[in-house]
Amino acid sequence: MSSSLTKVELSNLDKILYPQLRITKGQIIEYYIKIAPKMLDLLAQRPLVLTRFPDGIDKEGFYEKDVPIGAPSWVKTMKRFSETANRTISYIVCNDLDTLIWIANLASIEVHMTLGQADSFENPDLALFDIDPEPPASFEDVIEVTLLLKEKLESLGLKPYVKTSGKRRLHVVLPILPDYSFRQTREFVHQIGKHIARESPAVVSEFSRTKKPGTILVDYLQNSHGKTMISPYSLRATANATVSMPLDWHNVKKGLKPEELNIFTVPKNEENPWKDLFKNKTRLEVN
Amino acid sequence: MVKPAEPRISKRPIWTGRITIGLVNVPVKLFTMIFDKSFSFRFLHKQDGQPLKYERVCTKDDKVVPWEDIVKGYEVAKNEFVVFEKEELKAARPESDQRIRIDRFVDFLSVDPIYLDKSYVLTPDKSEDAYSLLLNALHSMGKAGVGRITLRTKEYPVLVHVYKGALVMTTLRYAYEVADPSSLEELKDLKEPDKEQLRLAEKIVSDLSGEFNITEYEDTFKEKVEELIDKKLKGEKIVVKKPEKEEAKELMVALQETLKQLKKK
Repeated sequence: MSSSLTKVELSNLDKILYPQLRITKGQIIEYYIKIAPKMLDLLAQRPLVLTRFPDGIDKEGFYEKDVPIGAPSWVKTMKRFSETANRTISYIVCNDLDTLIWIANLASIEVHMTLGQADSFENPDLALFDIDPEPPASFEDVIEVTLLLKEKLESLGLKPYVKTSGKRRLHVVLPILPDYSFRQTREFVHQIGKHIARESPAVVSEFSRTKKPGTILVDYLQNSHGKTMISPYSLRATANATVSMPLDWHNVKKGLKPEELNIFTVPKNEENPWKDLFKNKTRLEVN
Repeated sequence: MVKPAEPRISKRPIWTGRITIGLVNVPVKLFTMIFDKSFSFRFLHKQDGQPLKYERVCTKDDKVVPWEDIVKGYEVAKNEFVVFEKEELKAARPESDQRIRIDRFVDFLSVDPIYLDKSYVLTPDKSEDAYSLLLNALHSMGKAGVGRITLRTKEYPVLVHVYKGALVMTTLRYAYEVADPSSLEELKDLKEPDKEQLRLAEKIVSDLSGEFNITEYEDTFKEKVEELIDKKLKGEKIVVKKPEKEEAKELMVALQETLKQLKKK
């Protein structure tokens, strides 16, 4: 196929990877191509972990941390020691469109990214608040807690960003200067979570074995060495082909339906709310 | 360059569950450790070098049959089938209960290798202490556990034994899957050997006795084919052309758009 436009040898374009909606791999590649102008800046220089679904989302997928054998030589990788995996991993780094197309062509529906850049892997430049509802807590409860969190962070002079997880959560992200350890960002996120939990009885700031129904957890544990979050604009392996969608804060309100942000609707959206994410790295003051 | 990498145990377990011995549980993960490294070739159309595809064609009218119109049949007599629906087969299949149930322990060497089928390596699943205990007990006593597991939708008898510092689970063949050679006519009237000759035969065997070392054996056909592939690659290579379909065209339009946008930046 047309080799002047991409270096990638595309394959099995007609293979259906979302059986409920009959979405093919070709459509998935097309989605990633269309979203690339917004997504590439956010992925750049960052070790990635892919979740591949070669036989579609109804069959078991698998995590691909290491660059797969047979990857073209132009795919950039970065060897980093992962404490989570307790070994050195050759991570994929995606700085250009060809690499993104190559990733999509591997049936990597989900692209996860680390919270630190490759050149400052030990020092995150993102702090993540993962707002996780325990049923019967609803997505509206998640919105409510997220807005509380926003208020709290803004009162500290910080500028938080928000995206859907593509599932039932919201992710609030703070771009920070890579001067802190994961222990510090984790502690910071934890402290804020505890603070909100004190003010709002449905919010919990700790993991517990027996998740209490109806509570909302402000999860801080993702702020760890080698852990990843779903990348902004990544597709999810859900029946509706949802997307982890960066949002303008004014859209985070009652009536927001994460399942409506999907492979079909997201490319039509003109907004680019995370455009300046990495231009606004701030200091974290841990009290 | 074409040589396949040494088999490497995947990071992804194919099954997680626990070994149960009476009331004792050892949570474990199961990984594939046997890799078929034999060569496989694809059929190509000689004239244009393109791969062939298989189609399911009805033997009556030679028309291609779509998947939704396909059912399974068991041939009970020549051209006589009992038809099964997917659901009927599903209902008959055992449910996986995430357990390797050990019924008893036996001397490992007493298990005839004829019954050994496929081996999987077991690793502890946050159960290092219990795992180590079982591993060391089996090792020092030369024992293996016999039990069963349901993998996917099939139940297998299994042997849990020690291999190179790991617990390994080997599925076993059912007794009915192994033919009994003692019924063979040719073996029925074997004569007792002459004592002198037997002693001589035993001497030959003992002279050639040594340690078992599997790495002495190499797959010479595989090596030759690998060599050939390397040579062919240096010469002409057949590149598989992908059919250009509507979908592919749409992709290219999107790609052109995006390239333009990225350039503007």
